[in-house]
Amino acid sequence: MTDAKQQTPFDVLQYLRQELMPHFLCPGCGHGIALRALLWAVHELGIEKDNLAIVSGIGCAGRTGAYIDANTFHTTHGRPLAFATGLKLARPDLEVIVITGDGDCLAIGGNHLIHAARRNLDITCLMLNNEVYGMTGGQVSPTTSEDRYTTTTPLGNTEAVFDACKLAEGAGATFVGREVTVQTPTLKNLILGGIAHDGFAFIEVISDCTEIYGRKNDLGSSAEMILSQKSAMRPETFENNIIDRPFRPNALPTGVLAHDKTRPEYGAAYRASIKAQQTKK
Amino acid sequence: MIIVGVGGQGVIMVSKVLATICQMQGHQVKQSEVHGMAKRGGGVFSHVRFGEKVWSPTIPKGGADVLLALEWAEAMRWINHLRPGKGIFISDTQHIMPPFACRSRQRNADAAYTRETPHEILEQIQDGYAMDATTMARDLGNERAANTMLLGVLSTALDFPAEDWRDVISRFVPPKTVDINIKAFDHGREWAELVHENPDHAAEQLRRPEIAPALLSEAGEHDGDFVQLDINVDWCKSCDICVKMCPERCLKLDDQLKAVLHKPELCTGCRICEWLCPDLAITVHRDPANVKASA
Ligand SMILES: Cc1ncc(C[n+]2csc(CCOP(=O)(O)OP(=O)(O)O)c2C)c(N)n1
Ligand code: SF4
Ligand code: SF4
Ligand code: SF4
Ligand SMILES: [Mg+2]
Repeated sequence: MTDAKQQTPFDVLQYLRQELMPHFLCPGCGHGIALRALLWAVHELGIEKDNLAIVSGIGCAGRTGAYIDANTFHTTHGRPLAFATGLKLARPDLEVIVITGDGDCLAIGGNHLIHAARRNLDITCLMLNNEVYGMTGGQVSPTTSEDRYTTTTPLGNTEAVFDACKLAEGAGATFVGREVTVQTPTLKNLILGGIAHDGFAFIEVISDCTEIYGRKNDLGSSAEMILSQKSAMRPETFENNIIDRPFRPNALPTGVLAHDKTRPEYGAAYRASIKAQQTKK
Repeated sequence: MIIVGVGGQGVIMVSKVLATICQMQGHQVKQSEVHGMAKRGGGVFSHVRFGEKVWSPTIPKGGADVLLALEWAEAMRWINHLRPGKGIFISDTQHIMPPFACRSRQRNADAAYTRETPHEILEQIQDGYAMDATTMARDLGNERAANTMLLGVLSTALDFPAEDWRDVISRFVPPKTVDINIKAFDHGREWAELVHENPDHAAEQLRRPEIAPALLSEAGEHDGDFVQLDINVDWCKSCDICVKMCPERCLKLDDQLKAVLHKPELCTGCRICEWLCPDLAITVHRDPANVKASA
């Protein structure tokens, strides 16, 4: 079952534009761990760098894509899925992976998400959820937990919180999963499953904005924040018995949350319809 | 019969079903279980013995007629309890990665997941069933019904009426999930019968690619006791995550606030620091050949 590609040990350095390192993320920022997990999955799948296209939006999350030594496409705020759709339709041979943030994907880019999910084009969308607009200094985002402080919720957030996985599934995503960065190997496996899936895969990574969100909400040091991620997982799997500052007020289910192999992949269906049209003539 | 799995999978529910159905057939039953680490994602096991007269509630190594495993690594942990050459092996091929707290901290312990594949195991065991029950149950509508699906497989090996099984299962699963669990049970029965007729039916299903095989690679290379850490101080941003998350406490921040391995003799090479360093500044080498290559 093991093939040659998996035999070579994973060395993250092979996949980085090392001349750009160290990256710009703040100390302890969870996005860096998510970046490793993604590259690890790419390595295990044996995807060649030339066949890999990373499309990312604007934000700290989006910026992480720039460090990957592959075809990278740093697009406009909220639109990486739109660019990725065009790219994948033009070049179905490429493995197209989108890196986006909670603000990028759910706020300004919310419409692109639901329609990408609806179409079921073979793209993997990795949403790094740190519950905040990190890059612009810490404004409220659609996933900011209740009562959390941000620069735009000085009295604590009173807005309802988006469950991004339910949203994606409801809109038609055929592979949906969520994982925390502290479980890096499990996160890698989830991403691997998402990339291998033929259709639209949405993966929510529970990440930490240590410097801005963490500080503003007194969530502790980087290490304390990553430990407390366990409270964001299913309560029957973990208890938050390490520190008593819950990271997420409501525990979220993790793992593969939806996997539908029956719906046709959009790109294939689209090409088939063009072909049918041409043969008619 | 030994039933094993990890916390939250329903090992206890399954053993209650088994104990009850054995009683219904007029047997004496004794059951014992250990589930202390369940809340932390650790292993859970339960022994069920039945017969005309049962003395001890526990089953010695090599004494189990049935091993029913809800998780693959737990199956591997318990496989030596099966009666050699005779015991029936039934396992979900689903892998659940143990949380850090439950891993062995011995130097050179497999930091990761068991490497045996279902193929290897089934070649050795005559009466063995490895099914991807979790995915099959998810396809039916609820992955938590994987346990009743495996009961369906077991039911074909025990001479108890199917109606009794369905009756007992309905009593022990959460009321809202009775339908899906009965569906899963019947699916398991049908699957086992298909395998009886045609062993290739199981092989077919094991060929599912996707998530499973890659789990093995994490154990990957290592050569004896060799462990070496490379810490790139130019990339380290002093976040302290590696220091606090290392299970052996062998890292610290030096006076420049850069991570250093100050107790190399304690380092087990578990890679947790490597995985969790947000700045990708740590590389753990377990194979001397790779060190030379990168130097
Ligand atoms: C059209 C447009 N509007 C607003 C901005 C400002 N802006 C840059 S990043 C960002 C939010 C990013 O948040 P998120 O996607 O959650 O990424 P994070 O930084 O938290 O990783 C915003 C509003 C922009 N660059 N372009
Ligand atoms: S602002 Fe927050 S999200 Fe952005 S790099 Fe810093 S810690 Fe990470
Ligand atoms: S986790 Fe990485 S960046 Fe943080 S202190 Fe350790 S080596 Fe430095
Ligand atoms: S230094 Fe790293 S590899 Fe060594 S024991 Fe600590 S966490 Fe594990
Ligand atoms: Mg964000």
